[in-house]
Amino acid sequence: MYSLTQHKYTPIFHYQVCKIRPLLHPSRVYCSITTTTTTTTIISKPRTNDKSLVIEPRLIPEPLTVVTTGNHRPMINDQSLQSTWSHRAWVAAGCTTLLISLGESIKGAMDLNIWIEPILASWVGYILADLGSGVYHWAIDNYGDDSTPIVGAQIEAFQGHHKWPWTITRRQFANNLHALARAVTFTVLPIALVCHDPIVQGFVGVFSGCIMFSQQFHAWAHGTKSRLPPLVVALQEAGMLVSRLQHAAHHRPPYNNNYCIVSGVWNEFLDKHKVFEAMEMVLYFKTGVRPRSWSEPASEWIEEIETPSQIQAQ
Amino acid sequence: MASLTLPNHYLPTLLRPHSATNPSSQNLPLPSTPPNSHFFGLKLSHSAVSSIPSSSSLKPSIFAKVSKGSKPPNFTLKDQNGKNVSLANFKGKPIVVYFYPADETPGCTKQACAFRDSYEKFKKAGAVVVGISGDDPSSHKAFASKYKLPFTLLSDEGNKVRKEWGVPGDFFGSLPGRETYVIDKNGVVQLVYNNQFQPEKHIDETLKILQSL
Repeated sequence: MYSLTQHKYTPIFHYQVCKIRPLLHPSRVYCSITTTTTTTTIISKPRTNDKSLVIEPRLIPEPLTVVTTGNHRPMINDQSLQSTWSHRAWVAAGCTTLLISLGESIKGAMDLNIWIEPILASWVGYILADLGSGVYHWAIDNYGDDSTPIVGAQIEAFQGHHKWPWTITRRQFANNLHALARAVTFTVLPIALVCHDPIVQGFVGVFSGCIMFSQQFHAWAHGTKSRLPPLVVALQEAGMLVSRLQHAAHHRPPYNNNYCIVSGVWNEFLDKHKVFEAMEMVLYFKTGVRPRSWSEPASEWIEEIETPSQIQAQ
Repeated sequence: MASLTLPNHYLPTLLRPHSATNPSSQNLPLPSTPPNSHFFGLKLSHSAVSSIPSSSSLKPSIFAKVSKGSKPPNFTLKDQNGKNVSLANFKGKPIVVYFYPADETPGCTKQACAFRDSYEKFKKAGAVVVGISGDDPSSHKAFASKYKLPFTLLSDEGNKVRKEWGVPGDFFGSLPGRETYVIDKNGVVQLVYNNQFQPEKHIDETLKILQSL
């Protein structure tokens, strides 16, 4: 007896090559799929008793709704998960910026023959990047919406992530990181070119590097142990990268904890001392705005549960 | 018993209660038994030493911050049904007056529900529970009906009573404080308990004191 997950979509489904590769070795996959606007998942038993899987897509017309990229359920081989040359360019720019910054730091350290201070500054950068990731993540998760200037698209993306957390593991590398790489390029490149202090550059380089790669650490935190490189698993278990367990707690209602996604080292402290709750209360009294985590999660927020067979059947 | 009022030297600067609008909430730098964490759960008890009036204070009526052993000033506020309720109405029985930041916020909801869940114990002790916040009666009505709260909620619009009683705020007054007073049947305060982020503890502390009255 099989449990069959059905999608409501039109049965036109062409694909040439659809192979799932691990995130570290992205490959371009071409698929064209046509789908209807909304999908829901249903688990049901097949009608026949034999062992062949019978997929019976049902055409159930949904009321016409305006759908933006963030609102439709992404398929595994969705174009929106793939890297474009623009994404790659931004990631390259971001990495170059980081290399300049770190290069300045090393060069300065060699010239001045100081090592402890730049290394210490780098470590502080690593620690504070985790805090920064948490605060930013908290703000984006709780305030604003897709119409908010500058960060509207990000807010929508985070909302989509909460609904379909697994998508991040299917997102190609440059696609995943390009937004952060762009932010790092704009903010850090001027600093890297103007400032030559090895201690400052050590801090800035590591801080911004951790922020830029936080989306990768985040993606790894959504991975399964068997599919992740052993080194990544080791770093997660050592507490140097945010762990899968810690981040999974963030994806459970009421979605108001474990916001940090670099190393996760701040999560316990911030949650134990209700730091985010305090900030939410102060903001509420100052501005009257309630954070999303205070209300029952809206349907856009609740994770759409899938079975592994559903992912395979695509 | 040692008198203490949120000693400054112990608490981190950020966590000191504000005294900008309430000169009567003075801080006497006396040693205290250390709480488990920062400003979670500070019992304020005040014996013979009373607050030192600030020289900048212009309103004598708010000099006397309500503290253990004192008799709080009367108030008349509207409850969730719009009816006027005075503190004097409850003379002759113990009363738990708990000030909380606002309806429909996570901590306040936890606190209200905790009072609700232990309400039988309060009734058994012959005590009345009254919650006070700056929200209006309609907000209280919705809050009380949503969570089926069996006790009175009063609207302290403009936070007049909060200021009169000297309820300290948190984060330099950015956040109205969460403070509970237990008043015995003679109208004398027996407990002042402040804890912003562990709201359920208010219930435990107040029940403890009620059982000993």
